[in-house]
Amino acid sequence: MSNGISAGGPEDVLDWLYQRGRQRSGMVPEFDVERTISRARAARDAGAVDFWSVLSPTERRAFEAAADRRTFPAGTALMREGTPAREVMVIVDGWTKVCVQDAGRDRIIAERGPGDLVGEGGTTPGNVRSASVIALGTVHALVMTTADYAAFVGEHPGVPDLVEKQTYDRRTDQG
Amino acid sequence: MSSQASYGDAESLFRAAYDDLVRAAYALLGNHADTEDAAQNSFHKLMLAWARIGGLPTAGEQRAYLTRIMINEALQILRLPHRKWERIGVAAGEQGVHQEPLDESEQAREDLRLVWKAIGKMPATRREVVILHAAGYEYEEIAARLGISESTVRSHISNARQQLSSWRGVTGRGRGNE
Repeated sequence: MSNGISAGGPEDVLDWLYQRGRQRSGMVPEFDVERTISRARAARDAGAVDFWSVLSPTERRAFEAAADRRTFPAGTALMREGTPAREVMVIVDGWTKVCVQDAGRDRIIAERGPGDLVGEGGTTPGNVRSASVIALGTVHALVMTTADYAAFVGEHPGVPDLVEKQTYDRRTDQG
Repeated sequence: MSSQASYGDAESLFRAAYDDLVRAAYALLGNHADTEDAAQNSFHKLMLAWARIGGLPTAGEQRAYLTRIMINEALQILRLPHRKWERIGVAAGEQGVHQEPLDESEQAREDLRLVWKAIGKMPATRREVVILHAAGYEYEEIAARLGISESTVRSHISNARQQLSSWRGVTGRGRGNE
């Protein structure tokens, strides 16, 4: 049982970390590369982080004007895996978990909070949600249809960079 | 591994490096959920940076790049004031989330976080050397993973040891000191 480094302090923090690392690396549990890859892809499809912070004040006002402000009580879904993707959302406040169904059970793959854009992966026509986004507490979000979002992106030259970059990344992953 | 032809896509590289990456991340993070998180974030970053990484001439250089991504992802988690998975568990009363106990007391964890913060401020290569050392790797193993010489590893460790020795008092005294 380790006392940690506060109990008197070891001679050398680096040695202490090294010893702990060696010990732990002898007891690594099983990890599944397929699961890691599929969850990383689903998390990416579910949202882009820091969206709000890259918008200018003008763009934010335009986004707010074109979006509906909606409240999601704790435990409700902002979007659900397997359903058609018709909206994108920016979380104003509150936190959500991004989950995928795995052997009949919800598994958390990411969390999204204030400023995050969720559902951008659904802007490709005909896309189906690859993950669910569930409110952890009360969540306020700006909700926009994918058509309005496409128009918003078209009207604001600052925004397409982000979206085109993501589209580009998606395309190159497959190639 | 550096004699191998370079990987043609992000997924092949990630699959080849996976076991080694999760071993290192687990040694640093000490629980399944955080390790999985670091691995996922690493794959995400790898996909985003593939235009650059895919162009590297050797498999060894590509793996070194991915190793550096993983190290920095693990460090980000280590520097969080409260581990993300604990927060989710508490907020949602979530069933089925891994709630493996971390093996240090809360005080020790806070102390450690300050040490990780100090390590995080080191120049990139030194930081990466130190973190792999903290994952339990020998100098030779660190050199192979980062594509640098063993003597470079040795001198980074020695400098880092000196740099961190001034933190010994802080970590010994505990909370609240920068």
